Amino acid sequence: MNSSHTITHRQLFFVIIQSQIGVGVLSLPYTLFAKAKTDGWISLLLAGLFIQISILAIWKLCEMYPKQTIFDFIPKIVGTKLGVVLNILFVVHLFSVCVIILILYNSIVSKWIFFQTPRLVVILILALTCVYCITCTAREIARFLMLVSPLLLVLFFFVAYAYSDVHLLYAFPVGAAGIKTILSGSSDALISLLGFDTALVFLAYTQGRSNSKLKVISYASLCVTLFYCFVTFTTYIFFNPVEIVIVPEPVLYMLKAFSFKILERTDLIFLSIWIVFVTTSLISYLFFTAKGVQTLFKLKHHKSAAPYVGIICALIASIPGSKLDVQLWSKLIGMSALCCSSLFPIFLLLIAIFRKRKEKGAVST
Amino acid sequence: MRSVKLISLFSSLLLLTGCWDQTQLNETKLVRAAGFDYLKNGKIRNSASIPQSINTDTGTGQVNNQIFHAVGNTARQSRIKLDRKVSEKVDASKNLIVILGEEAARKDIYHILDVFYRDPKSALNARIAVAKGKASDVLSARFEETETSIGVGTYLNESIRSAEDAAIVPVENIQTVCPIMFDPGQDFALPYLVAEKNAVSVNGIAVFHGNKMVGTIHGAQGVLFTLLTGKQKNRSMSLTRKISNKHKDRILNYVSIKVKRNKRTFNVNVSPDDKISAHITLNMSVVITEYPGDNLTSKKKINKIEHALTKSLTKEANNVLKKLQDMNSDAFGVGRKLIAFHNPTWKKLNWNEEYPNIDYTASVNVKVIGHGIIE
Repeated sequence: MNSSHTITHRQLFFVIIQSQIGVGVLSLPYTLFAKAKTDGWISLLLAGLFIQISILAIWKLCEMYPKQTIFDFIPKIVGTKLGVVLNILFVVHLFSVCVIILILYNSIVSKWIFFQTPRLVVILILALTCVYCITCTAREIARFLMLVSPLLLVLFFFVAYAYSDVHLLYAFPVGAAGIKTILSGSSDALISLLGFDTALVFLAYTQGRSNSKLKVISYASLCVTLFYCFVTFTTYIFFNPVEIVIVPEPVLYMLKAFSFKILERTDLIFLSIWIVFVTTSLISYLFFTAKGVQTLFKLKHHKSAAPYVGIICALIASIPGSKLDVQLWSKLIGMSALCCSSLFPIFLLLIAIFRKRKEKGAVST
Repeated sequence: MRSVKLISLFSSLLLLTGCWDQTQLNETKLVRAAGFDYLKNGKIRNSASIPQSINTDTGTGQVNNQIFHAVGNTARQSRIKLDRKVSEKVDASKNLIVILGEEAARKDIYHILDVFYRDPKSALNARIAVAKGKASDVLSARFEETETSIGVGTYLNESIRSAEDAAIVPVENIQTVCPIMFDPGQDFALPYLVAEKNAVSVNGIAVFHGNKMVGTIHGAQGVLFTLLTGKQKNRSMSLTRKISNKHKDRILNYVSIKVKRNKRTFNVNVSPDDKISAHITLNMSVVITEYPGDNLTSKKKINKIEHALTKSLTKEANNVLKKLQDMNSDAFGVGRKLIAFHNPTWKKLNWNEEYPNIDYTASVNVKVIGHGIIE
């Protein structure tokens, strides 16, 4: 691997953060509320714990097969034939994630600002930008993701401003939903925390000691979990528990009511910054997908796959039109993404360990 | 080659704006104040103030205050009908204030406000107030003050803002009332406007229960209401209280104070036999802004005034609470405290019936911390 392609630990940290924070942040409090009521933020913390297991698995896999992406080591673990099948399935899963990011982005943008603009235009603008971004090396992508990270502070500031009008009592009584509902709520929270799985490809490019890589990914996911928790908790004490049921994008809605001396409609500013975060998660996933396509078709460079990947995603993403279609798609893809991104690496690791043991056993006898 | 690239790059910038979602200012008329009334047949009358500046030769823009009215079955329908009466497209995204006629406020106000909550372009930070009588009367009221330079929306908005600064009315906008409207354990209050001959005055507070207005609170009680909500600081939270009957000159019996600090402790207790009691304690630090009797040199004298103020304000605060209980408006959120800290009790009771009967008291402690630049 060319040495100019590698990324540093710090860059990896921001890559993970930027991939995780994405389209979900606006409606996360709403989806969590649907199950766990005002204890949704606890579900989120639990989900943060759960994904730590997946992160461990991903890290261990990448440690066993250093400098290789998931598409390189799947055939080595399960054998060439099954490997190709699994690779195809995984690429399909990645396609679906890109598609759902575009669908959700479009549904929010067309609902809040661009009422008249055709779907395909809104989607293509984002998709083509991302295609352009992923035609470069992993290092350049990581640099870009790091560059836009300070915007996270702006997001944080806007949400924190809500504390000028909150009702802390709305969060009480804590734990009223009961442990069972809180647990079931955390599966929804898991979907919004997805994005750490891009480590499966970015870890191959990361330099440095293996232990500190694990630390970096864990810290990144901890930061995202805490940030999401902060956002969720804030909306829960801003909106009445009865009200939040009818507000699908609570974070935006909350900001709509605020105006500063020289700024009105802070929700629109928030939305434009949020689009940057959607872009960054799409960039990581598109890069991931393009890498997969590269391996499948044995291309020389993922660059040549990028435009096709982007345009196919955009075209598929412009299919669902009504709100109910969008809901159906996001539910289906959410479930499949949950399995592929967080459970699949664990299974893969188990198989890998099992195989290694067997090999060792075979050698020693 | 390079220049061709550059030129095509920059010219493609022109395409970035797109042409689908445009809202051009010269093709819209901005509503600055909107009013809603119910007619006898249950239809809604929407009044909108659309100020238009008139260009004169001297260049100073005078404002022509135009009020439009339209009647429809719902708030949105009346807005659409209004649009037909106005030459350009009516746009409410820069609305400053929504006024509800008293009759409309006494029905479910959420039915009217739904259109504001649903529209992504609406101004959720617009103030909201209740008008005595008809909202259209307040909107079309003549106001002498700078009538030619500002629209009625700005005028009403500024009057309410100054009332908020003086703590006569609580600070609310369309969004801030929404969570409370949904809350079974708390109610809210809005400014109450009265159209007079040459002005619109902020007359007091319209108190709500759920989504419906249930009564009003006037005058000094309004300030106490705001203090009881726990509002801490304001530019001019002033009160004038009678503290004795001794003097022949009426003016000498009064003292005016300005509240510098206001700290609220709010306790809600449930006794073992499920009896609910609530108590609000206000600790105020005040500055005497007017006391013609003078002689504030001795500690004794100041203590006397503190004592008299404490007594009089405590009495008034209890009157406010009594009034709120009579109107069944839980404006300070006793119910919310119950939900949060006494959830099992809350689940058992019917708050609408229970609230007027709970033991609800207040006490005010006044501490004088200054008296202007003379003693």
